[in-house]
Amino acid sequence: MFLQQIINGIVVGSVYALTAMGATLVYGIMRILDISNAGAYAIGAYVSFFFLMQTGSPIVALVAGVTLTAAFGFLVQKFLYAPLMNKSPNVSLIAGIGLFIFLQDFLRLVAGPQARELNFGTLLPSIQFPSLQLTLYGTWFLILGATAVLLFILWYLLNRSPIGLAWRATAQDLETAKAMGINTNRVVAFNFILGYGFAAVAGILVGILYNAVYPTMGDVPAYKMLAVIVLGGLGNPLGTVLAALVIGMAETLIGGYIGFFLPRDAIAFVVLILILLWRPQGLLGRRRTS
Amino acid sequence: MYEQVIAINVGLAMLLAMSLNIITGFAGQPTLGHAAFYGIGAYTSALLTAKAGWPFLLALPASGAMAALVGVLLGLFSVRVREDFLAVTTIGINFVIVAIFQYVQLFGASLGLAVPKPVVFGIRFGNTEILILLIVLNLLVYLFMRHLPNSWLGLALGGVRNDEEAAASLGFNPDHYKVFAFGIGTFIAGMTGSVYAHFMGFISSTDFSFPVSVGVLSMAVLGGLGTVSGPLLGAIILTLAPEVFRFVSDYRMLVYGGLLVLMMRFQPQGMVGDDSWLRQRWDAVRTRGKGGARRG
Amino acid sequence: MRNKFSLILLAFVLSLALVVAGCGGGAGDKKPAAESKAPVKIGFFAPVTGPAAADGDSVTKAAKLAVEKINKTGGINGRQVELVAYDDNLKPQEAVSIAQKLTTKDGVVAAVSGSYSHTTRAAAPIFENAKIPMIAAYALHPDITKGGDYVFRQSFVGTAQGKAGAFVAINMLKAKTVAILNVDNDFGTTLADSFAQYFESKGGKVVSRDKFTMVEKEFNPVLTKIKQLKPDLIYMPTYSGTGAQIARQAKELNLGIQMLGTEGIDSTMEFLKVSGDSANGIIITTNLNRDSKLKATQDFIKDYTAMAKHAPDMVAASTYDCFMVLAEAMRKNGPEPEKIKDGIYKIKDFEAATGIIKGYNKLGEVTKNVQVQVVKNGAFTYYGEITDAVIITPPDK
Repeated sequence: MFLQQIINGIVVGSVYALTAMGATLVYGIMRILDISNAGAYAIGAYVSFFFLMQTGSPIVALVAGVTLTAAFGFLVQKFLYAPLMNKSPNVSLIAGIGLFIFLQDFLRLVAGPQARELNFGTLLPSIQFPSLQLTLYGTWFLILGATAVLLFILWYLLNRSPIGLAWRATAQDLETAKAMGINTNRVVAFNFILGYGFAAVAGILVGILYNAVYPTMGDVPAYKMLAVIVLGGLGNPLGTVLAALVIGMAETLIGGYIGFFLPRDAIAFVVLILILLWRPQGLLGRRRTS
Repeated sequence: MYEQVIAINVGLAMLLAMSLNIITGFAGQPTLGHAAFYGIGAYTSALLTAKAGWPFLLALPASGAMAALVGVLLGLFSVRVREDFLAVTTIGINFVIVAIFQYVQLFGASLGLAVPKPVVFGIRFGNTEILILLIVLNLLVYLFMRHLPNSWLGLALGGVRNDEEAAASLGFNPDHYKVFAFGIGTFIAGMTGSVYAHFMGFISSTDFSFPVSVGVLSMAVLGGLGTVSGPLLGAIILTLAPEVFRFVSDYRMLVYGGLLVLMMRFQPQGMVGDDSWLRQRWDAVRTRGKGGARRG
Repeated sequence: MRNKFSLILLAFVLSLALVVAGCGGGAGDKKPAAESKAPVKIGFFAPVTGPAAADGDSVTKAAKLAVEKINKTGGINGRQVELVAYDDNLKPQEAVSIAQKLTTKDGVVAAVSGSYSHTTRAAAPIFENAKIPMIAAYALHPDITKGGDYVFRQSFVGTAQGKAGAFVAINMLKAKTVAILNVDNDFGTTLADSFAQYFESKGGKVVSRDKFTMVEKEFNPVLTKIKQLKPDLIYMPTYSGTGAQIARQAKELNLGIQMLGTEGIDSTMEFLKVSGDSANGIIITTNLNRDSKLKATQDFIKDYTAMAKHAPDMVAASTYDCFMVLAEAMRKNGPEPEKIKDGIYKIKDFEAATGIIKGYNKLGEVTKNVQVQVVKNGAFTYYGEITDAVIITPPDK
């Protein structure tokens, strides 16, 4: 049973990692907490659902969901966040929250408040190991596989490709990067496209995992992902993955063994606060110099 | 009476928005969990009056004090962490406090708490008395806010907000002022929570959840963070809007979200912030009667 | 100058507040029309926006359907019924404002709450003070009806349904051990508590109790734990969103344990469709018997399905019945608040969508048989009915 819980924790953590990656990338470049990313999560799931209903093809649904949401990210950055870049961070925060609230209710009005199934039809088989009291669900493989692939792609992009170099330069110091001839606008746009694309994938995977797509599905991710990225050290993708696993594991083990002494979603914040008391810069953040 | 209840809602909102403004607008510390202190005040007052038999007049400041206690702790924490970490930590505080109200039996857990109506000098408080109390409190806090920008405290907070290092070089210890701002802001929020509890007669943990904090922050930002009248305006608008726009109540969240986006995109300084559209009109109106040339 | 603006603003606000304070204690602007052809207004509030929007949508449809039906069958002695509906966004503060508006400005003679417990609980005293009868369709908080004579409840109070569940567990399902898995709000907690109490008083053993939040999705950890304990039954008082996940994950885990739910998962869209065939075999205590021979029930199911394009759920049925009860009270006794209140107390063996309403006790709690339904081939069907007075009689204080 312990092994079951551990693997369960890793799966939960992987979902959190994917969900939080979008906001991590946005923060890395723009130093803003993007809550509307959770709106992208829900939109990705809904667009996917729509295309699945229309075409019956999971591939089309997946591709449509990710690309359309990514395109949406481009628009959001261009028309909302870019003009606000040199204003106080509170401003973009509230703008992001406003957009998120708007998107959620938009989905409710367009698609109805009832939950819809996201059935990709592929009945992924589960594998049982009765001797180890272990059941590995098909969907778990899907999630772990998708996470591994996507994180690898991200790592490759950021560390081994020219655009990754441009990204890291821009993240470190936008003005200098611009002075060095990097097209920072393009980097920022690319960043958002990627970030929203990640959120869409996360939303679709969660929709498949729980067979439910509903307008408020972005609620919990909206704030829990903030806890994850802050715990990770803000803007550091590796930190995010680590933090996501820590929180996913904590929630699962507490739920399975002690029982929730506090609601599950508060646990992420308890972990955050405790760790920040010990390391104010987060798990992998840089200590502030002043 | 309906209008009274609306006025009470506005009064509560204005106090919350002003108290948040002290922390975020004046001292520049982001606080996204303000409802937690609202809740601490509410539950403290409820327990003191219902379970411990305290008179309301004592419970009111005590609620503020209890909230300020936690607020000061938050303030002490805030000096250790960077701004963005602080913002999310305040969200965390909101969640954890609400979770405690939800799970601990003392606070009624999921059944919530019934709160008795206050009895002050033999008068049993109805909505009229609560409204008068709110008017008094609002007046006091407003006078404090008005006095603040030009006071030593206000200048110190402004220094902390704008440039900590410069402020420090002038001999202010920025950390002290951050903690102080948290203390005052949360004290007011706590007292407001007490009034809320006794007005509603029944409180439960979800009354103080994260969306409520977002609402309070929106009011202050909408009106103009760091201004004196901004939070008041924001509170009035966002509280009255659902009532005025009941005919579009099905779209209310759409309107609310859209409003926030549009305001931040086009008037991020708030409605009465520097060089806002409204302020420019106001200045234009004021100088029109002065025969041409602008003085000063 | 900055300060001048804020001063003027505050002066405006203060004077407004004083004006308002000055007109305190008034009887209201509109008194309900006593004897005329003017429409009879019934107030209604539900969480149309916010986290409970699915239920809000469901009950609003039911309310509109009910008013339509009442008007089609002669209205109230010739007068039409008008629905005055508001959205409370699932916020108690909103519910309070709405209750004030309904009772002082809108001239309603009665009201129905289509909302959850906390909103209804906050609004109830206002209706009580205004002496306007209010029926809570499905909100379970025990204190709602304790405020006075004018507040009623259409759905089983928590203790009655919890006991009914335990009765089903012991007598119909022959369970000796049970694991309780409940949502951690007043609904889940009161049901779990009263279930446990009755179950243990008859010799049963509760082997574990776990709770979770309304938005929980991940039940593998706790279900894995329960699987180890091998209870005869799992009792799960919760709502559709979470219930569906429990059903699915239990099936994936090959749990093989009978599950007993409550009216919270009585929903076609949110529960049955999302859980698919993992729902088959689940038994629930509820108030809507799909196989009922009663005309009122069958007509309601037919009419609602035609209007909403999906089958009705418990919250819709309860809301619909609130209006029917009000109509009955008004037709028999008169459409004034005081007479309506008396009329409701006089209700005896009234045929409604949720069965035969035996009556309302002096606390305002309803007495009616508890329906037991089982999911077969993706639909709720008749499994049993609890008529034992000991179980179904609600507390009267």
